[in-house]
Amino acid sequence: MRLPRPLENLIDQLSKLPTIGPKTAQRLALYILKMPGGEVKELAQSILDARFMVYPCPICGNLTDKSPCIICQDEERDRSLLCVVEEASDILAIERTGYNGRYYVLNRTFRLMEDGDLTDIDTENFQQMLQPIVQEVILAMNPTIDGEVISRYLHTIVEEKGIKVTRLAHGLPVGGDIEYADEITLRQALEGRKEI
Amino acid sequence: MQLQTLQIRNFRNLVNIDYQAGSSLNVLVGNNAQGKTNFLEAIYLLSTGKSFRTALDEDLIQYNAGQYKIYSQYQMKERKLSSLLYYKRAGGKSFFINNKEAPFTHSDRLRVVLFHPDDLFLVKGPPSGRRAFLDFVLRQLSLEYQFYLENYNKILRKRNFYLKNEQTKSKSFSIINEVFVEQASRVMMQRIQFTSILDEICGPLYRAFSQEKNHLRIRYAISFPVKSDKINLDILQNAMMDDIKNRQEKERTRKTSLVGPHLDDLHFYQDDRLARIYASQGQQRNIAVTLKLAELHSYKRIGGEYPLFLLDEVLAELDKKRRTLLLEYLKDAAFQTFLTSVAWEGIDQLPGTVFAVQEGNLIRREFS
Repeated sequence: MRLPRPLENLIDQLSKLPTIGPKTAQRLALYILKMPGGEVKELAQSILDARFMVYPCPICGNLTDKSPCIICQDEERDRSLLCVVEEASDILAIERTGYNGRYYVLNRTFRLMEDGDLTDIDTENFQQMLQPIVQEVILAMNPTIDGEVISRYLHTIVEEKGIKVTRLAHGLPVGGDIEYADEITLRQALEGRKEI
Repeated sequence: MQLQTLQIRNFRNLVNIDYQAGSSLNVLVGNNAQGKTNFLEAIYLLSTGKSFRTALDEDLIQYNAGQYKIYSQYQMKERKLSSLLYYKRAGGKSFFINNKEAPFTHSDRLRVVLFHPDDLFLVKGPPSGRRAFLDFVLRQLSLEYQFYLENYNKILRKRNFYLKNEQTKSKSFSIINEVFVEQASRVMMQRIQFTSILDEICGPLYRAFSQEKNHLRIRYAISFPVKSDKINLDILQNAMMDDIKNRQEKERTRKTSLVGPHLDDLHFYQDDRLARIYASQGQQRNIAVTLKLAELHSYKRIGGEYPLFLLDEVLAELDKKRRTLLLEYLKDAAFQTFLTSVAWEGIDQLPGTVFAVQEGNLIRREFS
């Protein structure tokens, strides 16, 4: 049986989204058909708003709807600390720790195999952020081989300016059980052990 | 590790097999194309998720069925475990351990050592075969090795990409080099440590199995010069960096990586002479058999448990004396063996439990 064209379109569009397969797309589409008209309009409008009103901050790359973003505007923040992350969503995680410095978001995850040269990565904004007031740059890349390569690349850029560079420690999750840690994590935790 | 039951459904020509463990030595006898190797392949799949014969799961389904299923109950360190693998056309592969979906790297999965007639050329053949041997065992034994090897292969491909595109003077190439050397040293370190374990195990095994007085030694052969008796990560990394500098020009002209563990080798010495060159064909075969047995023992040494030993048509490749010695060894072994063989006259005298394989059926043969 052929579905009505508008419904078919909706299913096709939904199934383009990540983690949504054809079955889920169908279920969502049928659900949307039963929703009150007002709610559907709100949903559609919020998708449009989010897409066209949110953009990367021209200074730090964080997602924002005003320029510069609230973190860049915040005078209370410690301007001597700069934390570099791959995606804006990483900021949310780091904010929960109470970190009060500034950020720089690469807004792309470097992929060793797909991406061309490291120098293709636009670092102009990043260099702009490395003002004399910055005393430490914290590299918070994902603990993968791609994260490793990009960390080293950024390290060379920061080093040229004579600024201290640190990176997040790799190791055990808090509240975890050593017995159940995989050997790679455990070895990194051993290598990065600290005197108490 | 002991396999207790094995159920196979619609896997190649094995439509409906319910195997109950016999003794520690299980012999599958039958003519060609009856399904002997398919039985071993099914066990192998539960252990690695892949076939040793084809890359296509489609090919493994019995031709008019929609899915294949392999289920096994086994004992591991006195724990009772089960694993289930099924593959549906267009539905993909699913793997479960104790009824829970699991990755093929799960530590409770079955482990096997496969001895295939091609392995008899391990000594004589190209270095890639010996590297594949090391990689296979180490990946089975160490999650860490899997991780570093994957990283190494990734960064190696990237490095070759830079060489191919003549971008070796860029800043990024030197960063790639740093990471390349670091991952390489991790891979090599594990291979070196494993080789020394193999070397220890092989010595006495070789004397027992070959019944020769020759002394067998195994060494990991690094493809670049290391000017130190001691080996550690730093020493390897420095030596490798030096060699990269020395070969800069050559790498640029050849446009590929000429340094790294992807070029290393495993050397066998018989009385201090390289076996690949100086040992006779028979001796080379003995070394290959010894190596396979040592592989089994290395699992016990490192992981605390013997894997299953699968021998595919290897008996036919050995002469009578070696065949007898090997069977004697397997009969009283602490590990469980599955071996396939075409029917031959001495079959009644075979130790262990014999199964006749005929057109995809398994029939237990009782001899009085």
